[in-house]
Amino acid sequence: MKEKLVLALAEALEIDASMINTEDKFRDYETYSSLTELSVLAMLDSDFGIEIEMKEFNKYLTVQNLIDLVSNK
Amino acid sequence: MALLTFKNVGISGLTAAVPGQVIDNYSHDQFFTRDEIREVVDKIGVKQRRFAGPDVCSSDLCFAAAEELINGMSIDRREIDLLIFISQTPDYRMPATSVLLQERLGLPSGTITLDINLGCSAFIYGLTVAYSMIIAGGVRKVLLLDGETRSKVYSQKDRKTAFLFGDAGVAALIQRDDRFGDSWFSLNSDGSRADLIKVPAGGYRKMSSGETVTERVVDEYGNIRSEENGYMNGADVFNFVIREVPRDFEKLIDYSGVDVNAIDYFVFHQANSYINNYLAKKLKLPEVKIPSTIEKFGNTSSVSIPLTIVSELKDLLTGHKRIILSGFGVGLTWGTGIVDLEDCYIGNLVEI
Repeated sequence: MKEKLVLALAEALEIDASMINTEDKFRDYETYSSLTELSVLAMLDSDFGIEIEMKEFNKYLTVQNLIDLVSNK
Repeated sequence: MALLTFKNVGISGLTAAVPGQVIDNYSHDQFFTRDEIREVVDKIGVKQRRFAGPDVCSSDLCFAAAEELINGMSIDRREIDLLIFISQTPDYRMPATSVLLQERLGLPSGTITLDINLGCSAFIYGLTVAYSMIIAGGVRKVLLLDGETRSKVYSQKDRKTAFLFGDAGVAALIQRDDRFGDSWFSLNSDGSRADLIKVPAGGYRKMSSGETVTERVVDEYGNIRSEENGYMNGADVFNFVIREVPRDFEKLIDYSGVDVNAIDYFVFHQANSYINNYLAKKLKLPEVKIPSTIEKFGNTSSVSIPLTIVSELKDLLTGHKRIILSGFGVGLTWGTGIVDLEDCYIGNLVEI
């Protein structure tokens, strides 16, 4: 799950997967914006079947948080 | 759960009007750099839009479309018993714009006139009102007008909305005819999400004042708008749409018993190309059956579904066609419709 999430996140944010560390705060990546955020939300829906409210999504800060989210689904 | 079925009533003609003024988004650079613009525009897919001038209202666009429809189809104005005007950019707070259009179009005083204040789902809501009145009896023909000048609602200094919206108006003729088979509709609303797309001031909850028209920087990105400009929380709307719209679509397919493969065209509200492409992919629909005008007209709110039919399907609607309409947005409200078209008259796109 970890690998799948990291690859999908890298694709959504148009960055290299090798740049992603699990403790990173993903909103700090340079390519993160209100536009690429949509790609992240779309990725969670299409690749992991996760429908999430923004109030909930905003509580997830790190890449590890996202890994936990998709692993616990 | 509002699911509706109608028999022997349908859309027999459709026309559209757009302002002549074309806004080319990539060079719409009064307030943002070309690089900033390219990033936004590439994602939302809106290359051009039409902007109504200061003297042109939604009703003027609808009037032009209605004249095209009435003349093109040689409609007897005395047979129009109901005129519906759909818009969130009316001429006045009062009276209702539909009444003004009754007079302008030379319709008799026996005409029922009605405004519907809804956004991107409204054409589908409007169809169900028109169909219901006809089924109730006494109403022979309905003129369904749907117009928006959203360019006047949103700040051109807020990049979240500055490149998205355009203006247009349409006119549809609805009537009873045995040629029309069954049609089905699903309509929904969720007022708990009213804040996601909103013009906060200028109504009676927060009346217009010097303060409400003052532009302010509203976020860390330097976007600027007043409380009388529209606001949109794109991420929340996106999440909502990708969850609820496919659900409603499947629900109506189940309810109607229609084979989705037998549908000729799927016409979605033109929200932005990112949402629209995502919906098509999620629903696994064939691209060739999904007409799109987001590139040339942008998001025209409730007008986008019928505008897309006029612009993209004009020569493709001879004989019997069955199409699905899907609208979603401000309210939030959303709806899906499955309708039959039988040699539907489509007028030439009018520019004013």
